[in-house]
Amino acid sequence: MNYAVPIAVAALLLFAAVKKVDCYAAFAEGASEALPTLIKLLPNLAAMLAAIAIFRASGAADLLARLFAPLLGFIGIPSELAGLLILRPFSGSGALAMLTDLLHEHGTDSFIGLAASVCVGSTETIFYTLTVYCAAAGIRKARYAPAAALLSGLVGAVSGIALIRIMF
Amino acid sequence: MIAIGILLCAVNGRIEAALTALTAGADRSIELLLALAGSYLLWMGLVNVAERAGLTERLAKFMRKPLRMLMPGIGDAAAPVALNLSANFLGLANAATPFGIEAAKRLAAHNGRKSTASKELCMFLALNASAVELLPTSVIAVRAACGSADPYSIVLPTFISSLFASAAAIAACKFFEAYKG
Repeated sequence: MNYAVPIAVAALLLFAAVKKVDCYAAFAEGASEALPTLIKLLPNLAAMLAAIAIFRASGAADLLARLFAPLLGFIGIPSELAGLLILRPFSGSGALAMLTDLLHEHGTDSFIGLAASVCVGSTETIFYTLTVYCAAAGIRKARYAPAAALLSGLVGAVSGIALIRIMF
Repeated sequence: MIAIGILLCAVNGRIEAALTALTAGADRSIELLLALAGSYLLWMGLVNVAERAGLTERLAKFMRKPLRMLMPGIGDAAAPVALNLSANFLGLANAATPFGIEAAKRLAAHNGRKSTASKELCMFLALNASAVELLPTSVIAVRAACGSADPYSIVLPTFISSLFASAAAIAACKFFEAYKG
């Protein structure tokens, strides 16, 4: 696994050389096309990340967690995991920190520990990916993409917890 | 979203925290950009080499049929979409993001209404949210660090549930496409 990517890159460069492609020029050309995108990305990122930061710092995220805990319980998600699931779409490192807490508190191979691991593994930092990709593409209205993404995350978490119940 | 946050800060008597959080968030954008920039330049450079050698076209041809079912108007975004999904699958987050950015840009360029996401872009964004991954490396690392007897025990259930999540993402997008136009 550790070898796969470097070898693929080497194979790509060798293949291109055999095809008589000027690798250095092609690389430089592609990389220079990346620059304008990066510049355009920055202002959008600043606005959206500031919004996400204040959403968490103001306690709005916690409030959301408390509001949704009963609802999540209703669809089979234990209340211990409510905070984790609310945080997960906003912050990958935050979710990993919370997972560490849960694993220490309940044990790595307990039901809560296993369920929390699966929930973190099978979902994404949805708002982060949405922010980066929309900012790069200059999209202001993501329409139903956030709703579909959140629903898919919820399905991932619920089915993950159900699988843990069945398998262990 | 910013307004709600500031109001809540005021209600909770933490108005001074509002500015700190806003600044910290904006700071994060620079950090994130710097973190992204290097690998973005690297992978975009390599992709251009692959393009010159005719490799991305082959990949795109191979992936076009299955991707067309999900995103009918995929056009020349087939290659970056395929690269992004496979990088995600292999757990290469650093490589997945540049491909994803390229895919989002091309999908948006196909669309006349530039600041509104097309249904193809929505499908791509939703698919990215479900992250089908062969090995959830960070979770395994955390479990091992916490002294799990079997850190890998969650691999299979995680894989299956992320497949369910992807299916839900596809279904949700198809539903919204049908009812919201």
